[in-house]
Amino acid sequence: MAKWGMVIDLEKCVGCQACTIACGMENSRLPGEHWQDVIFFQEGEYPNTEIKWFPRPCMHCENPSCVAVCPVRATYKAEDGQVLVDWNRCIGCKYCMIACPYGVRFYTEEKATYGGPNMKQVFKSEDAHSWNPPWKMPQEDWKHGVGVQPHDVVSKCTFCYHRVSKAPKGTADLDPQNPATREYTPACVVTCPTGARFFGDLSNPDSEVNKQIAYKNGVRLLDHLGNKPQVYYLTGEGGSVPATRSLKKI
Amino acid sequence: MATKSTEISSHVRSAANAWLVSCIIVGGISGAYMLYQLMTVGHAAFNTSSDGVNWGLPIATYVFFALTSSGLSMIASLAMVFGFKQFYPIVKRCIWLAIITLASGFAVLAFELGHPFRMLWAMPTGMQVVSPMFWMGVFYTIDLVLLIIKFYLIMQDDWHSNLSKFIGAASFVAVILASGMLGLLFGSVAMRPMWFGSFTSIYYMLTAALCGAAAIVVTTYMAFDFDSRNMPDELRTLAESDQLPKVFATLIGITLVMIVTRMWTGLWSNLDGLEGFHILIKSPLFWIEFLLGLVIPFWMLLQPSMQVRMRPQMIAAFLVLGGMFINRYEFIVSGQIVPMFKGTWVNSLEPYFPSTTEWAMAVFGLAVALGGYAIGEKLFHLSATPNNGTAGKLATSAA
Ligand code: SF4
Ligand code: SF4
Repeated sequence: MAKWGMVIDLEKCVGCQACTIACGMENSRLPGEHWQDVIFFQEGEYPNTEIKWFPRPCMHCENPSCVAVCPVRATYKAEDGQVLVDWNRCIGCKYCMIACPYGVRFYTEEKATYGGPNMKQVFKSEDAHSWNPPWKMPQEDWKHGVGVQPHDVVSKCTFCYHRVSKAPKGTADLDPQNPATREYTPACVVTCPTGARFFGDLSNPDSEVNKQIAYKNGVRLLDHLGNKPQVYYLTGEGGSVPATRSLKKI
Repeated sequence: MATKSTEISSHVRSAANAWLVSCIIVGGISGAYMLYQLMTVGHAAFNTSSDGVNWGLPIATYVFFALTSSGLSMIASLAMVFGFKQFYPIVKRCIWLAIITLASGFAVLAFELGHPFRMLWAMPTGMQVVSPMFWMGVFYTIDLVLLIIKFYLIMQDDWHSNLSKFIGAASFVAVILASGMLGLLFGSVAMRPMWFGSFTSIYYMLTAALCGAAAIVVTTYMAFDFDSRNMPDELRTLAESDQLPKVFATLIGITLVMIVTRMWTGLWSNLDGLEGFHILIKSPLFWIEFLLGLVIPFWMLLQPSMQVRMRPQMIAAFLVLGGMFINRYEFIVSGQIVPMFKGTWVNSLEPYFPSTTEWAMAVFGLAVALGGYAIGEKLFHLSATPNNGTAGKLATSAA
């Protein structure tokens, strides 16, 4: 069984938000509902101030607090290590949103978080879907939280379950440079123009993700909380992983 | 005796009628508005958001009612479980109110949830035993069932049988577990340091008792048109003694100590996420809750001259209920105002103010509770005691 994980090299990340856009297009997200986001923040005080950025998908934690708190097992850990939401079970209590330390979850039914027209009104749905975007993804799998979601449930990054789950068993790395694996690779990894993202099997000692974590000293976000993310960051000389979540955002 | 009891019940019924009519009007309007909003706009009519405050006023209202219900059960247990016989005259009213407040809490929660009906099958089939919310559901359901059985037994004038004693004790245990689980729901999440820790469960259990005490003082007087002369003798003896005010004052004192210790720990520590305490101490709402809702009632109930008088007891109880409602709200909201990692467009601190729909839900909950209480006064002779079972039955059949 694979244990899919992601490595993000902060030395290579230029904060271009291509991953955010690719994720939104791939997964038919509403504007503002960024399953993957690049968070910009400011460190220090004028004149010693620095603008930093930090890409943040769902961490698909090894020990996910969102799974533990969900009263109905709608949020669950899948066989290959992804943390998913079963949209047929979710009761919309939002406890998982409270318990996720990384703020990666979204409730379908809320005010438009973005300026501009309310997309749910512009592209109204006639059925159980919460909206009907013109750029819908072809896949739909509510048990795994894939597709345009129904009303009143919680959604989050699936590690592109609809792509990754089709990879041949035993694949160590999903590398967008390799034509054999490109179509199974998560959209954010495929699109990253600097190649800052790696995706592979953390349980396979030969995988590229494991090598990167070992050679470049991969670290995890807010590790002290015990969620044990399956997303690792490489900080090198240039980047850093924020130690707090209350940084002044810009 | 029979004439007096008829007089009493006519007083009770006229007061209850007025309450019921106002509650139906207020509850009808707020409920209709809320339903209209939920059907046309959906949960987007709430001001909660994925970026910050996920749980707002409706959850605070639910917690307020659920804990008040637990507290009322605890107060009923003083007589039913711990043998303080002087509290018998309020037992029946406490139990009825506990049922009604729990029902109001559940009603508000149901409208807050995305899919309330789905919960009915998804909870038992999921059996997610590591979720505090799962256990909260289990224990509050057990609590509700036991309360209904307890009320039925009292209606049958069965106060002392072994079954009645057993149900009383089981209900006390259920209520401690239920309020404790509601506390654990917040206290278990390490990523929310303003809530985290076993303190939250203890805080919820003890402040539940305080809300229960305040609720029973308010409603007992309310039932008799705010005039103790209308009360049956046994109840008047209790109302004019310093027994209940002393229990009440002790509970306010304990709550004050807990709030102060929680505040100073929070203000002193600089753990990421505890900034909420600094916001709290600057907020007028907190000071209204603290000074008006707790310190002043505490002082009032410590004055021997005020303890035994109706008006100060009433005022203190009203202030405490208002203060504790604010307390539930600020507890829940302040734990969320420091956002988790979320997007470029999120503020350092999340602003939140309940929407009209959320306010309508709170008003609706209150109307359900007070209306249900009035129905109880009309139909069930809530002042019955083991010594006037026949009077109780007479009044019931007269109603
Ligand atoms: S990052 Fe949050 S939503 Fe994702 S698995 Fe971890 S706790 Fe769950
Ligand atoms: S909102 Fe849905 S997924 Fe989240 S805890 Fe509640 S039921 Fe589970």
